[in-house]
Amino acid sequence: MADTETETSEIEAAEHGHEPDLPQGDLAYRMAHAAPNLLPGEVRAHPDPWQYVVVAVVLAVITAVEIAVSYMEGDIPDGLIVVLLLAMMIMKFFLVASWFMHLRTDQPVFKRLFVVGAIAAPILYLVVLATLHGVLAD
Amino acid sequence: MEAWPDGRDAATESTIAMTAIEQPSAGELVPTGPGHEGVHDAHGTHTGVANAKLAMWLFLSSDCLFFGAFIATYLLYRGRAGQSGPTPQDVYNIPFTSVTSFILLMSSLTMVLALAAVQRGDYRRFRIWIMATALFGATFIGGQIFEFTEFTREGLNVSTNLFGSSFFILTGIHGTHVLVGIVWLVSLWGLSMQSRLSQGDSERVEIAGLYWHFVDVVWIVIFTVIYLLPK
Repeated sequence: MADTETETSEIEAAEHGHEPDLPQGDLAYRMAHAAPNLLPGEVRAHPDPWQYVVVAVVLAVITAVEIAVSYMEGDIPDGLIVVLLLAMMIMKFFLVASWFMHLRTDQPVFKRLFVVGAIAAPILYLVVLATLHGVLAD
Repeated sequence: MEAWPDGRDAATESTIAMTAIEQPSAGELVPTGPGHEGVHDAHGTHTGVANAKLAMWLFLSSDCLFFGAFIATYLLYRGRAGQSGPTPQDVYNIPFTSVTSFILLMSSLTMVLALAAVQRGDYRRFRIWIMATALFGATFIGGQIFEFTEFTREGLNVSTNLFGSSFFILTGIHGTHVLVGIVWLVSLWGLSMQSRLSQGDSERVEIAGLYWHFVDVVWIVIFTVIYLLPK
């Protein structure tokens, strides 16, 4: 009975144009629907080499802009420099993580693992900095 | 009978799904395309992903916290009043560090090109790109040694002040990570030279690549936060 209900919900989900929610069968569903050029564990195929080169060029341009902005100290407000540099740093971070580390093509579990660490670290240490900054200043 | 979008009926789809769930035999070949013919197995793990790759991602996730601790310590100690000895403004050579940072950034490109080469069975290009990555890494380390030497000449060492301690520890630990990565890459190059690294082993290269790219993203953060942000 339960199997019939699950099967019915899968069919309804497919009819509405999205992947059915298969708690146990997710891997099986993906394997059954895998594109022919996928490696195991990939949700989408790895990019072509020319796409990697394009990403590297974008990274190089962002780095050049970063360095240029750092030399504008005194010409524009420090707060604006900090915001610009941090924004470009985050862009570079996610470009490397998503394209070169294949987080955009691999299974979501890897993305979740890495995002937990990448988000937990700044939050944890911002709290530490906020706490200790006042303590050490006393 | 209601059908799936690709034309299969629900009963067929259910059979395919249940077969895959109940018989995840280790070493089972999965559908692959040109360049990947039958060279990878389906891992045969409960998670459906390779244990080694999962372990690497867990390690990288925990390493974020490890480096975060040293970056936070640096930020906490950098501007403390009453420190004797050189300050960041006195010693940093931004143009030089920018060049070495750019080299490390580009090593991520050569690393991913090495992976793409081994995945399509092009071992000659794999060896070229993996060695280029190791050489870029070695150049970065050479730059870091030069920078440390210059700082020491200017009177800043690990025990001079809080800035010196936190700077040398942070960048030194990152440099150690790069060194480990270079050894790893050279060992992969050596295995390939001995014809002991095949297309089917591309996951080993991918895991080494994950480590290398992580070292790169950590430097992206260090370069911005430590060197470029207004002092």
